[in-house]
Amino acid sequence: MKNNIRVERAIKNITQGELAEQVGVSRQTINTIESNKYVPSTVLALKIARVFGKPLEDVFMLEEGD
Amino acid sequence: MKTRFLFPYWCRYLGWGLVIAHVPMSIIGRANGMINPLDNPPANQALFTGEHLFFLCTTLVMALGLFVVAFSREKVEDEQIWQVRLDSLRWAIFVNYFILIGSLVFIYDIAHILELNIWVPLLFFIIRFRWVIFRLNRSLSRED
Repeated sequence: MKNNIRVERAIKNITQGELAEQVGVSRQTINTIESNKYVPSTVLALKIARVFGKPLEDVFMLEEGD
Repeated sequence: MKTRFLFPYWCRYLGWGLVIAHVPMSIIGRANGMINPLDNPPANQALFTGEHLFFLCTTLVMALGLFVVAFSREKVEDEQIWQVRLDSLRWAIFVNYFILIGSLVFIYDIAHILELNIWVPLLFFIIRFRWVIFRLNRSLSRED
């Protein structure tokens, strides 16, 4: 699963730490999601999409082979 | 995140304190002629004799310490920490059974297998869990 959290963060001008605080996880978790090392749960993915004010599929998208 | 069945964060320090405290306890005990009943089974098999109590205290202090360290909460608990914890637990069980079966087959020493079984899963779990968290933190600081 790919995501464009990094781009969305840049648009909204917030750091990993700020996003982590808003969704209630650690900075490490946001960092590993951004670098595609960790796939978040549906609840967390929905929370992240809500912070950016976008539908889930604009932030997270399936890859070939998923 | 709601976390059940975990000790508070500060319990980690208490746990390490217990693990460290068990070292001088067993050194002093052994210096005073106490022998681990697993090393040298006493002729008198009565429970709660001096030696049995010494063995109980040192082993229990160590095992309790490791248990508390292993199952105390992190500063920030989230779903990734839970996943790492579960994964480490699975590895600890794998390693424990690997050693257990290996020693059952190749060593004829049931008493020490019990002793091994007390600390191998907990210690392996702690090392693996902390190692993964250390790697997560390192990748974070590399990005700064």
